[in-house]
Amino acid sequence: MAKPAKKLVIVTEKVLMKKVAHIIEACGATGYTVLDTGGKGSRNVRSSGHFSVSDTEANVKFEVITDSRDLAEKIADEIAISFFNDYAGIAYICDAEVLYGHSFCGPEGC
Amino acid sequence: MDFVSLFLLDLVKQLQSPTLGFLIGGMVIAALGSQLVIPEAICQIIVFMLLTKIGLTGGIAIRTSNLTEMILPAAFAVIVGILVVFIARYTLARLPKVKTVDAIATGGLFGAVSGSTMAAALTLLEEQNISYEAWAGAFYPFMDIPALVTAIVVANIYLNKKRRATVQSSLEGTLSRQPVAAGDFSDPQDYPSTRQEYRGRQQAPGGNRVQIWPIIQESLQGPALSAMLLGLALGIFTRPESVYESFYNPLFRGLLSVLMVVMGMEAWSRVGELRKVAQWYVVYSVVAPFVHGLIAFGLGMIAHYTMGFSMGGVVVLAVIASSSSDISGPPTLRAGIPSANPSAYIGASTAVGTPVAIGLCIPFFIGLAQAIGG
Repeated sequence: MAKPAKKLVIVTEKVLMKKVAHIIEACGATGYTVLDTGGKGSRNVRSSGHFSVSDTEANVKFEVITDSRDLAEKIADEIAISFFNDYAGIAYICDAEVLYGHSFCGPEGC
Repeated sequence: MDFVSLFLLDLVKQLQSPTLGFLIGGMVIAALGSQLVIPEAICQIIVFMLLTKIGLTGGIAIRTSNLTEMILPAAFAVIVGILVVFIARYTLARLPKVKTVDAIATGGLFGAVSGSTMAAALTLLEEQNISYEAWAGAFYPFMDIPALVTAIVVANIYLNKKRRATVQSSLEGTLSRQPVAAGDFSDPQDYPSTRQEYRGRQQAPGGNRVQIWPIIQESLQGPALSAMLLGLALGIFTRPESVYESFYNPLFRGLLSVLMVVMGMEAWSRVGELRKVAQWYVVYSVVAPFVHGLIAFGLGMIAHYTMGFSMGGVVVLAVIASSSSDISGPPTLRAGIPSANPSAYIGASTAVGTPVAIGLCIPFFIGLAQAIGG
């Protein structure tokens, strides 16, 4: 049985990786996925494949699967308030269905 | 006249050195739209190799040298690092269209040290057969950390002061509008337009105090400094001569030339970014390396006359003062002063500051030292 879930996606600067990961865990999510990424946004093209000596130009994308919308919103709020005024970043939420994930508990319990 | 002609002759000779040639070559091919890509992982390894080699050289030298000789030049390095930030605070920040936080961050980055610039200077000194104290490379952290810490502290003091001022004025504003208040938000224009703003208001504003220790810790943990400190420790406590002679020392110059091409390409790609911020940054990043270097050169000369600090050492001190950090400095500043515009300070440092420091300041200070020292 697929368990209904929310997928929270946060794309932000790589320099924030540890801090964002810390907030996600502190809010109570049990796990997350991080990908190195790049692209274009309101602040300019970042990590478009061209070399950079320091990590200030790279982006990361966090994906967090949560069982409730509240938790996802709590994480997104916390991160947006802490960083998005000064750093590049966007957060969005999607509906997801977890097919296989032994440790993931949906709204109805495990 | 003799002094000037000797100096100019030397400058031309320096410009032909392979180190500078590769830097300029990198800029040229980037300007011509070259698709050359040097993988990031290779650059990280090169930075590690160069800084470890400098650390090892210093560590081996420290083992056999008198440490009291280091105290005065190291103290000068600290003074220059701090001074550079205040120079930016009271010159660059005063210029039109320059935001004060951006100026302070730029000062911090210019005060911080570039490992690759230092490596280039050491190579050129060796090519010229100018002797320098092998532990001179160990000044790196003495200038780097004070500069970054000072910049972050000064910027946060400034920002807190500014925040307090705006809180005060907005408080007066709400008080005068009190009579029309109905509900939490007295005026439609006070109503938060985004969710982020709304949640942000629910948190107490409160000034944030700067903690100095985490900044020092972060600097020490940066890739360049930790490699150098590792090399330094290994040089002091172990006998790394065999691996030093067979691996680190022979590869040093070759790897440096690769890094120079990368820095040249990087510099060119940042020029466009710099064009978006105030033009004063360009002026600052051309003039500042010379000013900072000359201050350090002057202080180094004091050590030269009082302590017998070598002219080569004076050049190293001057070059690390004129260099601006490109590897570990930017992320530290980005985290320490989030509201500063990274395009301004990284652009100023990478696009103009570093090429000026490597291409003009190193030959300039070597020439100056030769002209003075004969």
